[in-house]
Amino acid sequence: MACRMLHICRVVNNSIKNVQSINNETGDELWKGVTSVSNAGRRRGRGRGVAKKRDLNKGQIIGMGKIPIQFPGLNTPVFRGKELVQQQKLSVDPERKQKLIEFRQSQTRPMRVKLSPLERGWTSSKMGGRKIGPPDPIEEDTFEGFETWVLENKMITCMTGNLGRKNRVSSFVVIGNGNGLAGFAISKAPVAKASLKTAKNRAGQRLMYIPRYKEHTVLHDFFTQFGSTKIFVKKMHEGYGLVCHRVIKACCEAIGIKDIYAKVEGAKNVKHTVKAFFIGLLQQKSYQQLAEEKRLHVVEFKAENGNYPVVLASPAQVRKPNEVPSNEPLDFTQYVMGNRVVLKKKKLPPFFTKLPSYKKRLVKLERTRNSDETRIQLLAKYGKLHSFLTEKYPEAQLLCKRKPREDETVE
Amino acid sequence: MLSYRINNFLRHTYACTISNCRSFASTSVETGLEERNPAPYFFNRNVQSYLKRLTTVDYAKIFRTRKDGHRLKAPEYKFLTDEELQEATEAAKRRAHKYLQMPPVVKKRVDPSVLLCEDPALKGHDTAKYVFTDITYDLNDKERPIVVREPEGTLRHATWQERDRIIQIYFPKPAREIEKPKMFEAEYLKDLLDRNEYIFILDRACVQFEPDDPDYQAVTREVYEHINREKHFDILRSTRHFGPMVFHLAWTRNIDNLLCEMIETGRIEHAAILIRLVHLIYPSMKSVIEKCNVRDNVEFIMHYAHLEEKSIVEKLLQSYKELQQVHQIVQEDIKQEQEQEHSIQNLNSETEKVNINQ
Repeated sequence: MACRMLHICRVVNNSIKNVQSINNETGDELWKGVTSVSNAGRRRGRGRGVAKKRDLNKGQIIGMGKIPIQFPGLNTPVFRGKELVQQQKLSVDPERKQKLIEFRQSQTRPMRVKLSPLERGWTSSKMGGRKIGPPDPIEEDTFEGFETWVLENKMITCMTGNLGRKNRVSSFVVIGNGNGLAGFAISKAPVAKASLKTAKNRAGQRLMYIPRYKEHTVLHDFFTQFGSTKIFVKKMHEGYGLVCHRVIKACCEAIGIKDIYAKVEGAKNVKHTVKAFFIGLLQQKSYQQLAEEKRLHVVEFKAENGNYPVVLASPAQVRKPNEVPSNEPLDFTQYVMGNRVVLKKKKLPPFFTKLPSYKKRLVKLERTRNSDETRIQLLAKYGKLHSFLTEKYPEAQLLCKRKPREDETVE
Repeated sequence: MLSYRINNFLRHTYACTISNCRSFASTSVETGLEERNPAPYFFNRNVQSYLKRLTTVDYAKIFRTRKDGHRLKAPEYKFLTDEELQEATEAAKRRAHKYLQMPPVVKKRVDPSVLLCEDPALKGHDTAKYVFTDITYDLNDKERPIVVREPEGTLRHATWQERDRIIQIYFPKPAREIEKPKMFEAEYLKDLLDRNEYIFILDRACVQFEPDDPDYQAVTREVYEHINREKHFDILRSTRHFGPMVFHLAWTRNIDNLLCEMIETGRIEHAAILIRLVHLIYPSMKSVIEKCNVRDNVEFIMHYAHLEEKSIVEKLLQSYKELQQVHQIVQEDIKQEQEQEHSIQNLNSETEKVNINQ
């Protein structure tokens, strides 16, 4: 590298004229000579191993050179108490040079920030699924309690007449406060950081309120479609969790939906999925609306509550039984799904159940089929894995492999 | 095969004696609290109706979310007409009565002490006891013949504990364990009681034990007494265990706390029923002999408190009466004010009308 530097600075020629030019070049110019690669060269793949600019004076402190001298006003205070401090030579540290070299070598590469698995997002390297904090406050409106989920962050290119291939970063994010308010936006910028920031702030301007059932799930099952992306959403009981595509899961977390089952059919395009899901959520009908449409009571039956009927909504006027035509679909799920019936495929047994080896395995396992329960029961009863015979016959206990002691192995 | 033959033989010979031994609901009423049989009192029609009325039916509590180990399901929704809704509600109410069915209160069972036969010749035939069980499908578990041949050669009826174990092995009942669960042991039970898990303890006791089991009666007794001490009656209200608890308190003549709680919460009618219940069980009480001629509930309770020397109850009743009077006065005041406002409004509207006419 030094050779290259000299070459660039034309020191090799060793003429007086050229030597003068060293003094005229600034540090930046010198660095440029080392670190830059021509456009032609970059296109051929050079400039990968090129050195990066770094601070050559790292670790040095003003006033502390090879010979440490005490300069009052520079590296020591002028007065110590009431006494005036004099300029003074201090004892030389013989290891100074060694320490300086070690310090400079130890911090050559910038430290890579390691994220915990919870913060990492969907994959290790891409931004998708990662959270990037609330949008920037607008004057007095701070987005308290909001969080942003990156759904898509990718390089997009286009060809322009002027610049040729032009690269930009497209970011698609969803933000929400986990309490019914959520919004999503897309943004493009030359740099990822800027694009994420604009997307986040833009999403903050497009918030919508999503009604939820008891603040944990959707109001009812629904079907929704955007383009060829179709989503079947099912309302679920408390504690079920989010069983759906990761993009829908991020949206649910932003909105504050905790229990849902969703099946995406057709194209699994991120933007289409999010749009379809939000359209479906916004098109949900309230129970009052459903009751008025059907002119019947909407009644909830929960198995854990002994199927006690709970009236969720009643219309102003209820139809009499003879007013309900016999061919009218009265199934609630069918009605809210827009007369669509979800195909429930029968789950076939796995292929290996037909193999003879599987039968053998079952026979072998039959002996130990209740061992887990027995183990727990014995531990609860005796505190140890042994039977009722052990009191009489001490040898009737479980043989466990004894670890060899350290002193035994030494011998 | 051999055991089957022996069983068959024994069933015919001893069935009568066994059934005689195990009739727990004998009608003879002995003197003394321990000896007295609560069953005829508990199953008395009047007592049952009193206990049901005291339990009260709160559907929100009866159909509460039960943590019984079942997987939750997504709720179902239906479009119903008025008639269908009515029908569904009626069906739920019928189910509620099933949920409120009270576990019976009966006398403790006694182990049969009769020896069936003694065969000195069989002494030392084996080191273990032989248990012979009739495992015929259709038999009642109370009457199922189970006998034990001891190593000494005697043949006897199995004790109740042995019977429970054997029957659970041949005809397992769901969630019942062969051995008594550790939670019914004193130290663990105390912990549960401190956490107010009364319903859990009582439900599990119902599953684990028979109602005439001394263990069942000891556990329930401890729970009821704890509730009485801590005055946590409201936890059991609208559950199937409230009736037996009230019956236990009435049986042990320990109703003061319950009576006070009822008066404090304004359940005067319930308090009167409770006193009538005690009167049914103990007809020789002072307050029964000196009849109360007033039909008013408050006066009836006062009569009881006065004769049985319950000064706390009297005080509480007095304060209740005062509170009622204050309520009445306030109600009247509100009524008067409303009437005044009404008349003022009428006046105003009339004057307006006059203005318009002018």
